[in-house]
Amino acid sequence: MKQHSKSRIQQINEIKKLIREPFLFISILVIFYLLIVFVIFPIFQVFKTSFMVDGHFTLKNYRDVLRQSYYIRPLFNSILLGVLVATIGTFVGFVFAYAITRTPMRGKGIFRLIATFPMVSPPFVVALACILLFGRAGIFAGLLGNIYGLTGLTIVETIAYAPTAFLALIGVLQAIDPSLEEAAMDCGASRGKVFSTIILPLALPGIVSAWLLVFIQSLADFGTPMILSGNYQVLSVQAYLQITGMFDLARGSTLAILLLLPTVIAFYLQKYLLSKKSYVTVTGKPTSATIKNLEWYIKYPVYAMCLIFAFIVLLFYGMVVWGSFQKLWGVDSTLTLRNYVQMWKIGKKYIKDSLLLSFIVTPITGVLGMFIAYLISRKQFVGRNLMEFSSMLTFAVPGTVVGIGYILAFNNPSFFMPVTLTGTSIIIIALLIFRNLPVGIRNGVAAIEQIDPSIEEASIDLGADSGVTFRKVTLPMITPAFFSGLANCFVRSMTAISAIIFVVSGRWNFITVAVLGFVDNSQYAQAAAMSLLLISIVLLALGVIQIITNRLGKGMQSFSIIEQ
Amino acid sequence: MKKKLLIIGLVLLTATVLVAQPATEKKYATLQIYAALDTEEAQYYIEAFEKSTGIKVEFVRMSSGEVGARIEAEKNNPQASVWFGGSNTDHINVHAKGLLMPYKPKTDFELAPMLHADDYGWNGFYTGAIGFVTNTEFLKKNNIEAPQSWADLLKPEFHGQIEMAYPYTSGTGYTAWATIIQDKGLEKALDWWELLDKNIHQYTASGTACIARAGLGECAVGIAFSHDIIAKGVGMGYPLVMSFPSEGTGFEVGGVSMIKGARQVEEAQIFIDWCFSEEAQNLFKKYSRLPVNPKATVAEGAIKLSDINLIDYDAVQMGQRKDEFVTAWRDRIGK
Repeated sequence: MKQHSKSRIQQINEIKKLIREPFLFISILVIFYLLIVFVIFPIFQVFKTSFMVDGHFTLKNYRDVLRQSYYIRPLFNSILLGVLVATIGTFVGFVFAYAITRTPMRGKGIFRLIATFPMVSPPFVVALACILLFGRAGIFAGLLGNIYGLTGLTIVETIAYAPTAFLALIGVLQAIDPSLEEAAMDCGASRGKVFSTIILPLALPGIVSAWLLVFIQSLADFGTPMILSGNYQVLSVQAYLQITGMFDLARGSTLAILLLLPTVIAFYLQKYLLSKKSYVTVTGKPTSATIKNLEWYIKYPVYAMCLIFAFIVLLFYGMVVWGSFQKLWGVDSTLTLRNYVQMWKIGKKYIKDSLLLSFIVTPITGVLGMFIAYLISRKQFVGRNLMEFSSMLTFAVPGTVVGIGYILAFNNPSFFMPVTLTGTSIIIIALLIFRNLPVGIRNGVAAIEQIDPSIEEASIDLGADSGVTFRKVTLPMITPAFFSGLANCFVRSMTAISAIIFVVSGRWNFITVAVLGFVDNSQYAQAAAMSLLLISIVLLALGVIQIITNRLGKGMQSFSIIEQ
Repeated sequence: MKKKLLIIGLVLLTATVLVAQPATEKKYATLQIYAALDTEEAQYYIEAFEKSTGIKVEFVRMSSGEVGARIEAEKNNPQASVWFGGSNTDHINVHAKGLLMPYKPKTDFELAPMLHADDYGWNGFYTGAIGFVTNTEFLKKNNIEAPQSWADLLKPEFHGQIEMAYPYTSGTGYTAWATIIQDKGLEKALDWWELLDKNIHQYTASGTACIARAGLGECAVGIAFSHDIIAKGVGMGYPLVMSFPSEGTGFEVGGVSMIKGARQVEEAQIFIDWCFSEEAQNLFKKYSRLPVNPKATVAEGAIKLSDINLIDYDAVQMGQRKDEFVTAWRDRIGK
């Protein structure tokens, strides 16, 4: 990450250092092997399959797909939905971030919690709530017309992904020094002028980057359109149906590639924007904004919007709670615990598997992510950029594409993987680790870059090798970021659906897949009960990790795990 | 020191347990099944099978389309031995690709020719007919009658009110489409479906989703299998009524088959035999499926195939030409 300008002699020294450290050298090789097998190879398989018919290279699949309206329309539908969700979501996120960083709003903690809450549940739980509220048998039946389609999808995905924009933007707004604004105000500029000439231009790269992040998430979302899309077909679901409904791996892969391209472009555009740090004012530590008599016509609309969004979030999740106690949703509203009993009877195995696999995946991802973060931000070696690129890749690639890639890559033994992984727990564990790794790496890089390299250099100069330095010097300083990475990984594992649905098997299954099955049968009450159980498990785990972090982080700055 | 002893002790204990395991292992391997039935229902049958035979089963629930895709993807290394449930058209389609292993089940009755492949590549263990399921409150409110024929579905009062599964994602959806093809011929069937499409509210991925959705009033009419309509709609207490098209309707034979290259051949054979036993066939009552074993009792309210007007459904042709028919549908309807 840091580009030190250095002389030839230094470079030669670095290579020498590397050779002197066999542990480092071997781990780099091992990590490259893992990244090739579990990241590059599956995605390559999707590309390959999309260019193959009967074992020959051809463009036929692409010709077929581009010629048929029923293949090409979902692509435009996905993009339109993504643009809508990204725009509204970023707006909501910005209003929230502005309210928290720039206004004296009361109850900021609660608003913050509500605004980030949708992140701990799978997005399709919001979709479920949407049906319970606005479906024809819902509480507000008919209020929004037909929710199966663009309207419903936009509402649900906005609720689910606005938190992403909020978290991205709160960082951006905090980084803008309020003293600049004060200076402008003191010089006689109006609030509007300050906003349009200082805040907006400074925050613009952050806003665009938040927009792109939400756009990517919407494009990749699978659970929500699976439940709510109606006649509005989107690409992620169509690729899935092409494979599971038509047995058509070739065209399914082709659709997956069509889904992959816009997301990868958006992702690297976003990374490029973030790397242009020149926009952010770096004038020492961000001070909390001093808020002096904010005009009412700014304050109240902002408050109102925050209240409305918070109310909507509470309403949606409240509805899931209420629905989970109803005997037969829409017909018999007698309150009962039967759904929980039934859910437990059917879902026991799903819950056990999800928990066990997530518990295995989380620490491995945490350690591996931190280690790769350490390598790419502290070590110079051949292929470092390639390592960074490939380890971040799964973050940009939609789950549907990864899922298809995994079944294509691991159904048969291959050069890279001499045994078949399909049907085993290994394939699920590997998928979750490499899907979640980018989050851990990003956390790690951010934490490591805050540490002055001279501390580590001192350790190495005093004779410790890289391993010892990492364990004894770097590790203790990045522990909070490590635990936040763990929390994040656990949440993402428990709520995963789009890729997981391709690799579950009789031996190993997942709770999210079970919820989707209930929704498929319109057994909304059982689906609600199981969703609540899932959310409770996730919250409990977050709580435990937060407590551990606070214990370890005594004396360090206070640290919120959800927000990393 | 104590700690070390403890660790050594633990290691030894674990080793003993691991070594001792094979001695206590049961005779049968764990049977791997792909079930194209709902999780709850599949679990109900499979638990009974486990209890009755002592063979342990692990299963994954998928739509029959998904099972086909999995079997094809895994053909060099099959992960499951039995495909349990799903329309025989799908079994026929996969069998035509050479991915199933023929097995003639041992039954105490004669299996009718329409209930198995010529070489027993698949075997039919239950039957059910395509029917309509209609929300009674909708009918009352609009003062109309439930559809009694395919032609009724085109009436303007059902505009935007009918739901069913995509013919390419669900055996149910495909059976309905195949019924129309067989009744009218492909070209006329496509013309007819264009008219029907105007009345369709949405297509769903799964064949049974429209039933509860009709019950909830999300749509007025669903097109689905009679046994599903009873088990998941009428029987659950939704305000629904079932009807059948007077022109004649298609039907499905629920298939069970052994996957080529199955690892648990013996266990798979025992399972398939069990599916036709009186014990197993009596279980179908709970989900209103029509048993094929004459000794089994039929669920109350279930419609026997002999009670309704059936078309002369050619499952073999419909199974073998599925890809062609489905593509024709998508090209014309554009969904």
